[in-house]
Order: sequence, then C-alpha cells, then structure tokens
Amino acid sequence: MSESATTLLRAPEESGGPLPGLDRNAVEALVASGPPWLGQRRLEAWRVYEETPMPTTKEEEWRYTDLSKTLRLGELRLLPRQEREFAPEGAPALLTGSMRSDWAAAGHVVDLDGSVAHTDLEEEVARKGVVLASLARAVETFPELLEAHLATEALPASSGKFQALNAALWTDGVLLFVPRGVHVELPVRVTRWFSGPGRAVFTRTLIVAEEGSRVSFVDEALSADFPAQTLVSSAVEVFARRGAHVQFVSLQRMGRGAFHLSQQRTLADADAALDTLNVSFGASVARVDLNAELRGAGAHSDMLGLCFGEADQHFDHNTSQDHGAPHTKSDLLYKAALDGAARAVFRGIIRVHPGAQQTDAYQTNRNLILSPDARAESLPNLEIEADDVRCSHGATVGQLDEEHLFYLMSRGLTRAQAERLVVTGFLGEVLSRLPLGGVVEKVSGIIEERLRA
Amino acid sequence: MSKAPILSLRGLCAKVVDEDVEILHGVDLELIPGEVHALMGPNGSGKSTLAKVLAGHPGYEATAGSVEYDGEDILDLEPDERARLGVFLAFQYPVEIPGVSIANFLRTAMQARLEEEEELDLFDFQDELLERMDLLDIDPSFAERPVNDGFSGGEKKRNEILQMAVLRPRLAVMDETDSGLDIDALQVVAGGVKTLSAEDPEMTVLVITHYQRLLNYLRPDHVHVMVDGRIVRSGGAALAENLEAEGYEQFRASES
Amino acid sequence: MPQNEVVQDLGLDQYKYHFITEDEPVFRSGRGLNERVVREISAQKEEPAWMLDFRLRALAIYNAKPMPTWGGDLSNLEAVLDQIHFYVRPQEKMERSWDDVPVNIKDTFERLGIPEAEQKVLAGVGAQYESEMVYHSLKEEWESEGVIFDSIEDGLRNHPELFREHFGTVIPSADNKFSAMNSAVWSGGSFVYIPKGVELRTPLQAYFRVNQEQMGQFERTLIIADEGSKAHYIEGCTAPVYSTESFHSGVIEIVVKGGAHFRYTTIQNWSNNMYNLVTQRARVHENATMEWLDGNLGSKLTMKYPSCFLVGEGAHGSILSIAYAGNGQHQDTGGKVVHAAPNTSSQIVSKSISKGTGRSTYRGLCKVYEGSRHARSNVECDALLINDTSRTDTYPYIEIEEQEATVGHEATVSKVGEEQLFYLMSRGLSEDEAMALIVRGFIEPIAKLLPLEYAVELNRLIELEMEGSVG
Repeated sequence: MSESATTLLRAPEESGGPLPGLDRNAVEALVASGPPWLGQRRLEAWRVYEETPMPTTKEEEWRYTDLSKTLRLGELRLLPRQEREFAPEGAPALLTGSMRSDWAAAGHVVDLDGSVAHTDLEEEVARKGVVLASLARAVETFPELLEAHLATEALPASSGKFQALNAALWTDGVLLFVPRGVHVELPVRVTRWFSGPGRAVFTRTLIVAEEGSRVSFVDEALSADFPAQTLVSSAVEVFARRGAHVQFVSLQRMGRGAFHLSQQRTLADADAALDTLNVSFGASVARVDLNAELRGAGAHSDMLGLCFGEADQHFDHNTSQDHGAPHTKSDLLYKAALDGAARAVFRGIIRVHPGAQQTDAYQTNRNLILSPDARAESLPNLEIEADDVRCSHGATVGQLDEEHLFYLMSRGLTRAQAERLVVTGFLGEVLSRLPLGGVVEKVSGIIEERLRA
Repeated sequence: MSKAPILSLRGLCAKVVDEDVEILHGVDLELIPGEVHALMGPNGSGKSTLAKVLAGHPGYEATAGSVEYDGEDILDLEPDERARLGVFLAFQYPVEIPGVSIANFLRTAMQARLEEEEELDLFDFQDELLERMDLLDIDPSFAERPVNDGFSGGEKKRNEILQMAVLRPRLAVMDETDSGLDIDALQVVAGGVKTLSAEDPEMTVLVITHYQRLLNYLRPDHVHVMVDGRIVRSGGAALAENLEAEGYEQFRASES
Repeated sequence: MPQNEVVQDLGLDQYKYHFITEDEPVFRSGRGLNERVVREISAQKEEPAWMLDFRLRALAIYNAKPMPTWGGDLSNLEAVLDQIHFYVRPQEKMERSWDDVPVNIKDTFERLGIPEAEQKVLAGVGAQYESEMVYHSLKEEWESEGVIFDSIEDGLRNHPELFREHFGTVIPSADNKFSAMNSAVWSGGSFVYIPKGVELRTPLQAYFRVNQEQMGQFERTLIIADEGSKAHYIEGCTAPVYSTESFHSGVIEIVVKGGAHFRYTTIQNWSNNMYNLVTQRARVHENATMEWLDGNLGSKLTMKYPSCFLVGEGAHGSILSIAYAGNGQHQDTGGKVVHAAPNTSSQIVSKSISKGTGRSTYRGLCKVYEGSRHARSNVECDALLINDTSRTDTYPYIEIEEQEATVGHEATVSKVGEEQLFYLMSRGLSEDEAMALIVRGFIEPIAKLLPLEYAVELNRLIELEMEGSVG
C-alpha cells in the first residue's frame, strides 16, 4: 500500500485510544450520539441480537455455512464513524481504478471503512428532489423518512441475528430517495473501500423509490487481502412504490480474509419492477440473504446472481421469493463457476401465499465445477399455497461439456481458450438479463481476467 | 503434373475410445485441392465416425493407418491444431453454447490463429465479419446471438457456414448425414459451399451425406460409397444417381 | 372371470376398507412404549439374546433422539404414542394354509381379495394382521429354486446366519428416531432371499392390515437379492377408520447384490387416521438395479423417502412415486439417492396431486461423494393442484463433491387448465370425467409401470376422488 493510501485510511487507534469490541458499550455510545427513536431501535436490536443464538448448521438456512465455528466475533473491533474526505490522488489503485472504469453516473458515493467520505449528484437530478446522502447525516436531515423506513418493514432486527447486529451497530451508509414520477436516467454508483484487518464494519443502504419513479443503484465493495478476519455487514432495504422501477446491483470484490454478510430485502408494491443482481467474486466467506417480497398486484422481480469462486472461497446465496399478491411475477437465475477448492451453496425458496393467484415464479440455479476439489450444494425449494400458478425450478451441477470444448477447438481455439469462453458465456448469460450500462462490461472483464490468471 | 493431395487416408481404422468394436476397417481416400468429394453410405456405415476422426474428436481413436493433411500426419494433433492448419468440420448436430455470442466466438477463434503477442484488430475483424455475413446474405444481428442456442435446424446450418466463411478453411468436411435435413437447411449448406468454393477455387470439400438430394445442388467431382467402415466403390457424379435408384444393398450383397 | 374383477379388492378403491373385524387377540401389550413392552415382545417371540440386546439398545437410541421438527406436523404424536398398543398378537402361530387361519381373520383377507389374487397373479403371499404375520406361502416351484419368502420371525429362526449378516446393516437403528423405534419393537414383516440367478416371473406380495383401534404396527422386512437375480415385491396396506389415531412405522432393508434387479412397490392406502412413518432403503452393488415404486394415497401423515445407496460401480437406482393428498392429508414423500461409486446413475420421478386441503411435499436428497466419477442423477417433480386450498412444497437437497458428475433437478407446479377442461368437455365429457382424465394423464408415466391390476385400480380411485372436485 502506498504512503498516501496509508494516510487516507489511517485508523483511529493511531490517532486515539483502542477500538471498541462488538458489545453493549459500543451500542450505548452510538445511542448517545443519535436521536431517541434511533437509540431505542438500536437497543432493541441489541437485545434481539443477544437473545438470538448464533446460527449453526442445524438450522436449515445455515446448513452448509457454519459461522458459529469460523467467525470469531469476539476478536473483531468496531471502527466508529469518522469525518473523512475522499481524495482520488491518495486513494488505493484498486479503488480509483475501479471508479475510473465505471461509466457515467447520476451521482456517486464513496464509503471508506464504513464512513461516507464523498457524495455527489447531478444538479438537475437533485433539483427534482432526489436525495443521495450519507445515512448518518440523513438521520438529522430526513428524520421522518428514516424513522419510517429504517429497520422497520424491510429488515427489522427480528429478521435474524446478523440483521439485529447490523441494526444495533451500523455507523453509516447510503440513503437514496427518488420522488414520485422522477426518472433518474443514469445509475447511482456507490464504491466502498475497506482497509482495516480485524475490524467489523456495519453499513446500511436505504432506497425509497416513490410511485412511478425510476432509478438504478450499483454498489461495489472492494478491499485488498486481509491478514486477519475482517467482517463487513451490509443491510440493504429497497422500497419500490406503485409502478416504480428499481434496479439494485451489488458487486462484491473483497480480498481474502473478509467475511461479507449482505442482508437484502426488496419490497415491491403494485406494478413495481424491482430487479436485483448480486455478483460475488471476493471474500473468504460471502453470504447473501435476499428476500424479495412481491406484495402488490402486478409486481415483478428479476433476481440475478453469479459467483466465481477459487481457492478456498465459500459462497452462500440464500434467496426467497415471496408472492403475497395476485398477478405477480418473479424470475430468479443464480449461477456459480467454481475452481480450486471453492464451494458454493444456493438455497432458494419460492413461496406463493394463499390468494396470490395468477402468479408466475421461476427459479434456476446452475453450477459449473471446474476442479476436482470444488463442490456445490443446491436447495431450490417451492412452497405453493395457491392453485392458479405457474411455478418451476431447476438446478444443475455439472462440469464443462467435452462436446462444447471439441466444437470450439475444432474452430481453432486452444483448450484453455475454449474453457474460458464457455465459462464466460455461462456466467455472462446472467449479465445479459440486466443490461445496465458498464456493469456487464466491468463484470465480464473481471471474469476474463480471473480466467486468465 | 497433378497437384499433391490435400488429404490422404491410408488404411485408416478407428473405434470409439473405451470400446472394442472397430468402426472403420481400413479407409483409403485421396482429395486433391479444389475438388468436391461426396461420401455416401447407409446409416451406421461409419461416415460420421470418419468426420470426427478427421477433426480429432477425443471420443474416437485411430487404431491403424494414417491421415495425411498437406503431406503431414495429423492424427496426433489436437482438434484446435488441426483447425488452425485449415481443417473445418461442419457438424451434423452443432452444440448449443449459451451465453457465448457468435461474434465473440469467432473473434476468439481468429485471435487463436495469431502469434501469442499479436492482438487481433477488432475493427478489421468486425469489418471482415460483416463482409462475410453480407456475402452469405445473413443479417448482421445474427452474430450477436448465442452460439446455436435455440436455433432452428436451418439457423444452425447457417451458423456453420458463416464460421466456415470467416475461418476460410482449406479442407471443409460437411457432415450432413442427417436424413431429417429440411429444404431450407439443405439450401443453406449447398448455397454456402457453392459461394465459398467460387470465391476460393483451392478449397477442398468432403460432403458426407446419406441421400442424393444434397448432391443435386452440389455437383461433386467424385463420389465414394462407404459400407461397414470401408469405401467399397468410387466413381463420378453418376454413382450417386445409381445409388438413388438401386440403394446400398447391392454393395452389401457383393461384400458377402 | 375378467381380470379386473379378480383384483378389484386388491388395494385401491375409494375408502372401502372401513370394516372392523370382531376378534380377541391372544396377547396385547399395555399402552405406550417402555422397556417392559420391548422385553415382552422379545419373550413372546422366543428370540435369541442378541436380538433382545439389539432391541434394548435401539430403545435407548429412540429415547435419546428428539422428535423431528421438519416434515409433517408431529406435535400431537407423543400423546398418540402414549395411548397405543405397540404389540397385538392376533393368533398363536403363523399358518401356511388359509384353512388354518382363524375364520374371522381369514374373512378379513378374503374381503380384501388376497387369497384370490394369490392364486391368479402372485408367486407368494404374506399377510400381516395387527403385529404378526398370520399367513405366509410361496408357490412350490419357487421354493424348489431355493427362494425364501417367510415371516421375518421365521427368517431369524430358520436362517440365523443369513439373517444376522444383513439385519440392521442397511438401516442402522440410529438412522432416525422412527427406525430406532422400529428396531426396538419390530414385529412381523417378511424375510426374502432370492438365490443367485433366479428370476421370479410374478411378484411376491405382502399385505398389511391393522384392525384394532389405537395400535401400532411395526413390520420389519429384510430382502436379499443375490447376484444376478430378479424379483418384484409388492406391499399393500389398509386399516379401518377410527376416530383415534393409529401408527405405522416400518423398516424395509434391501440388499441388491451384483447384477441383480429388484423392484419394490408400495401401494399405501391406510385410513386417514394413520401416521405412517416408514424408512426404506436399498444398498445397491455393482451393476445392480433397484427400483422403488411408491404410491402414497392414504394416511393422515406419511413421511417416507425410499433410498438407494449406490455403493457398487455401475449401480442404478430409480425412485418413482405418486402421492395423492386429499382433505386433511399430508403426504411428505420423496426419495434419496447417494452415489458412492463411479458410473452410478439414478433417477427420481415424483408426481403429486393435492386436492381440497391436502398437502403434498416432495423432499429429496441427491448426494454425490467425491470419487463417484461420471455419476449421473436426474430428478423431476411435478405437482398438480386441484383447488385453491391445496398446497404443495418441494425441498430438494443437492450435494455434489465430485467434479465429473452431472446432476439435474426440475420441478413444476400447475393446476388443471380451464382450457384443457373446456376442450374435453366440448367433446362431451362431464367436468368430473374431464378432470379425472387429466389427472390420469398426469400420473400415467408412473402408473403404466404398475402391474396391470394396480394400474386399473389406481385409475378407478382417481375417478372416484375427482367426483365433485370442480367448482
């Protein structure tokens, strides 16, 4: 790491006392610095956290990922929110390089170690009432909006142990609010950089898209490799009101040593389209929980995901599609390519609740095993309580098809080229379903780069 | 003086890997540059096996004899090495490769022909691809579709011909054994081969087919009849017509 | 006599099996499960000491294991188990001729059509009444070939070495709470041995009848299909309807040796007050084939997942199931395939129909261990929903540790389409007939694999069940 990067990412222990652990004192410090409603919510969340046992593999949703044995929460240190300035000159090359390769955006957020260090938004977009802000600052500037939406309907503390921990300890994050009828043409891009080994960072994202509005949100998490276990917990709450169109993309490119826990919940009202894409490349252990609720008639969600694992990486994608209203549609496609001794778990469930007639719900999980030590687990589930539905799911686990390779080699590609092409195509099929400017190119580039390595 | 053969098979025997039964029992064949040869024969006679052995399919192995291409034995070469030397196999059943566009695939194939440090000029490639599609009367949007994914029979054949047009092989082996080939697909194959032959008179074509239909469009210089893994008769175009009238039984009978 | 008349009582009519036979058992254990009951059962059977030990160890395992929290609703089961008799002995000894079976019990099986079917279409028949096999017989021609088809008790008595070599090896007592329970209190069931190379042309059948109120039936079956043999075994089950709940928990162990081919068909049509929790598993050796054909039509709750452990190279396992869940029923069924050798293959096809407040659940596992190169597995589940109060779930587990394995799972859920109904009705079918036709078409791929007599009965059942299902 360069001299300037070190300065930029200076940790407070160098400027002050030791960092707190994940304990009640840390929560109380946060409570003291915020408004009473938030303080109450944090304390209640901490209570839920303490009461909820650490999930073990005995629990269905954690069957293949044992954080109770691998994640040492007691050793992690919490970094309080800091006032920081983002200066591209001093920033790590991985961060600036990634930002430079992004296409145009309506606005940017840069988050350094869980504190928002920069935001900008096109003037014209801001004039229409769109808000893109640090969540910590928004507590003061948009108290009603936050009180109504933050850790309430979407991700309350009662959703689970890690949801509760995040709701108690979050330091900062992003608020995106799009008023009624406003279309934001270009995506909003958030880039996050995490630097301190041994730390735990809790960040939240709240997106509220009012009736008939449109917006895309791309959230990228980056870090170098960590010499010690480092936790990044991210809570994402997305509200798409009647007829709104929202695209949410998460690109996870953390280094080894990172535990990345991303808890996401999307709520789609009537006729809303709420599409998500989760791309997981990095971290040692990456767990994504995504619950998409289609709660208004005519709501629609495309749910896409891809991961590319190597070495001893462990990915666990846990999704649910909840159809609570008639004429709703969801379509999920998650793919994993696994090299080295990587392991991917997919657990997905479609729930069609009573009365959600004329529902279409699809779920597909495909796994490509590229090495003898890689492994995959797939649990695609259905729970159907309405009869007038079209539901299907499919899961496959397989290796590269020799006939495919022969076909490509018969055109002159080397075996390595043919393999790269098939893997890129396999994962690229996911991207082609959410053609968001620059994302397809960026992710394809990363895949090809990794295949060449 | 006659030209040196581009392809010369001598006593070629072959079988499926991991199985004991031999399928080709000594095939002799010689192709001179610029010629169009037809290989005909009943189902199961070994025609498609021959096509796969020529292209180097890993599921087949030659157990005896030789395959000389341009004077060199190519039996030990990988399929991609053969392709880069100019051998092209138009597949009977082209496989579907989801997520990989035809353009991306062909660009990678063209890049593979270059030296390691050499970079394919993407603009030149794009121009070339458009020109080849124009030549074959294929809409430019076709190249953006994933390779054979969800294609009709005719579209798959069109894709094979397009690849042939871009890769400009010296030897094209057309495995058209499929008796179910519809008229559209038939015309795509025949029209494509004619167009490309007219453009490059040195290109050699070996058409493998069960029926004479395809040969009505593509007048072969030589016709070979394969029965039970051997070439039992060779002749001119008239031989194909004779087959249409008399069938393959005559050769079986003469064998036993 | 036309064939379908012969067999009309074999298994599958609308619930016409509600008749109660008046009789007095010769012995009945007290209510509930405890060590005294286990010792009584063992003593009644005059078993060797090792079996009593086996039972007592299993009882300890049963007591130590918690009640499963997955699957169906078992919240009331403990209370039910406290009330039932775990062992009811209907007569002094098992008979080889129907003439020697006590007349009231014989009447029962005659009403079920068993003796008649035995003569016409079966190689051998076993009949269990309450806790004991009351009748067992094998046609002479097979007996002379060395085929053994006996009650499990006679298997232990007469073939102690063969029995002990295999008993409890496919399904250890500790496999699950109910296999432990069965291991402690098992009574009745069949012991089958098919010698090397022997191919049975007609099926063996076992028929299970529960007559008494508040009793539990715990049959235990051990089947050894020796190398290169081929056979088909069918089990059928019925009971009268009581207002209280009854309990059935069988354990079926099958060893399919090299190159053998074994098919096990269950047509389960218990009354709707029955808990039916069964463990069935086959160990399949090199190039052998095991086929489970599983029809679950009755019971209040069934939890049953026939399994194939493919331990020999080239072994094949197939699990085909049809589940029908009517009002108040929950069929929690499916299958497990475990690939533990190269070139093994498996197939699971599951079709379920949920009607009224019925719920059908597919629960399955496909596991491929590292080293099972070129393993292939394919799972297809289709669920048909008849009413808006019906429910279906699909819970497959796919665990792949081997790179060179190809595994696929697909499931669909659909309802009977208005257009399909309209089309058929425009050709003159009533709505019920149209519905029955569509449902029959839906299960046809599996039903066609049943012996003809059963297929006919299954169709008849579907027709009756579909009456008044629309609207």
